[in-house]
Amino acid sequence: MSATVQDLAAPVPAEAEVAPPRRPGTFARLMREPVAAIAFVLTMVIIVSAVLAPWLAPTDFFHNDLAQAMAVPGTEGLPLGADAQGRDMVTRLLYGMRMTLMMAVAAVALGGVLGAMVGFAAAFYRRADAALMRVMDVMLSFPAILFGLALAAIFGPGLLAVVLATAVATVPLMARIVRGAALGVMAQDYIEAARSTGMSDARIIWRHVAPNCLSSIFVFTTLRFGQVILLGSALSFLGLGAQPPTAELGAMASEGRNFLFFAPHIAIIPSLAIFAIVLVFNLLGDALRDALDPKLRV
Amino acid sequence: MTDALLRIEDLRTVFRSSSGDIAVVDGVTLDVPRGKTLGIVGESGCGKSMLSLSIMRLVPQPGRIAQGRVMLEERDLAALSSAEMRAVRGSEIAMIFQEPMTSLNPVHSIGDQITEAMRAHDPKASDAELQERAIEALRRVRIPSPERRFAEYPHQLSGGMRQRVMIAMALSCKPRLLIADEPTTALDVTVQAQILDLLRELQQETGMSVILITHDLGVVAEMVDEVAVMYAGRVVERGTAKDIFEDPQHPYTIGLLGSIPRIEEDRERLLSIDGSVPPPFAFPKGCRFNPRCPFAIRACTETDPPLRELSPGHRAACIRAPVELAVDIAA
Repeated sequence: MSATVQDLAAPVPAEAEVAPPRRPGTFARLMREPVAAIAFVLTMVIIVSAVLAPWLAPTDFFHNDLAQAMAVPGTEGLPLGADAQGRDMVTRLLYGMRMTLMMAVAAVALGGVLGAMVGFAAAFYRRADAALMRVMDVMLSFPAILFGLALAAIFGPGLLAVVLATAVATVPLMARIVRGAALGVMAQDYIEAARSTGMSDARIIWRHVAPNCLSSIFVFTTLRFGQVILLGSALSFLGLGAQPPTAELGAMASEGRNFLFFAPHIAIIPSLAIFAIVLVFNLLGDALRDALDPKLRV
Repeated sequence: MTDALLRIEDLRTVFRSSSGDIAVVDGVTLDVPRGKTLGIVGESGCGKSMLSLSIMRLVPQPGRIAQGRVMLEERDLAALSSAEMRAVRGSEIAMIFQEPMTSLNPVHSIGDQITEAMRAHDPKASDAELQERAIEALRRVRIPSPERRFAEYPHQLSGGMRQRVMIAMALSCKPRLLIADEPTTALDVTVQAQILDLLRELQQETGMSVILITHDLGVVAEMVDEVAVMYAGRVVERGTAKDIFEDPQHPYTIGLLGSIPRIEEDRERLLSIDGSVPPPFAFPKGCRFNPRCPFAIRACTETDPPLRELSPGHRAACIRAPVELAVDIAA
């Protein structure tokens, strides 16, 4: 506080008019909140370890040692124990995280891009608005699990079915968020000014509407990421997603379920990983929303 | 007035509503002379902004042009396809708006926004060339150190500077007609004068036509060559600035002029026109001004007078003109 008073009292430097002092950026504001900073660091750790899984993993992905089957955590050389086939849980976990994150990225990217396109179209072309948004409402009324079941029946169970199902579940949510944000932007004078310069609709959306909706999109994406991981893991848990020997957190939890009473760590470790990832992404999403909200800026 | 750049013929812009179409611009016929400034004057709600948006074909939903032609030389803008119209916007007709504070996108630098506007009409130009032209455009609107301003964001500029940027953007493609919709209303008085001076200089440099929409008769007196007075979606008086200020013929014009304070007169109260512009769904029968008109006679409630030529180039839509109305009201 005293620093602020001093700042105010200090003589205005000559350059002040030339370069007004920069307001701390979004990232700086994010890092000021301890929870947000921790969430950000953990997110980075999760992403980096997933990306570098093949190099970080202590054993080869296909390596197994049946003698070590269901070894408890803390066993010599197996800090997290081994699963029912005697595979190192650390390796499985790293590869599982990698697969789960890839699935979530693919689903959020696909669903998010399609949803954003629908949302922009609905906000920009008011005639199409009602029709587009009713289609989104219909999609919203389908449970993603049901859709996943249907897709698994068509394509056979696998990651493709999970990605498509979660992507489809993301489209209407993203469309609503983007439409709402874009409607607010469309009412701004600079949109009319842009039209008066003869810019095409697509360029107005891309150059003027989209950048002003980015903060909403960003926050939603982060939050949705956690939800998609949960949903994808649930589908994998039901056996619709990743098939053995692919490591995927939901599928790993599902496999471990059979041994819940003699080797609980096989199910608990991937479940905890899901919990941690979802929690971290949600915390980051909340913190981003605060950091990007102009009304909360100090 | 034969040499018109833009000729609006019997233009009618309507908004769809549950009780039928409501006309906000109703049968306007108007010439915009080449190389001159036409002022469009009127109270809020008289349809002047809608007229300018109709020219640009930017009337917001659910409005549309129901009838009439907007002839830019030989072409009818009202009949162009939307792609053809887009090519006209910015390059042949440009517009500046009332609110410089919100008419620039806060997320792009002003240089980006100007080059973007130019790129819309010149997709082949290189970035370097566009940047050079944008800096030149900023220099033309007398923005100091344009090279540095080019990279700045709208929040770093004052209102007057932003309006200059808007003007630079509007003029970047050398339009033949500039529509300025209350360009100085949001600015304080000293900045207003600077912006008006700038507009006048730029007009003389480029020889473009300007439509200046305003409710400020002081601005009109200072800036324009010709005036159209609008009331309730119609043009009620049209003439040169001299005609309108020295010999106003429509009671509405007289009322507007009476409501400006004059430094040489020692009057206790300003004249005012009672009431306000009726909303478009409640226009009265006969002359639309008759309920507020101090000179209204019975005939005024029965016939809707067309614009009538009173002297060459000076027309008014009043059945009582030409009486020496101005004399009555000054007394």
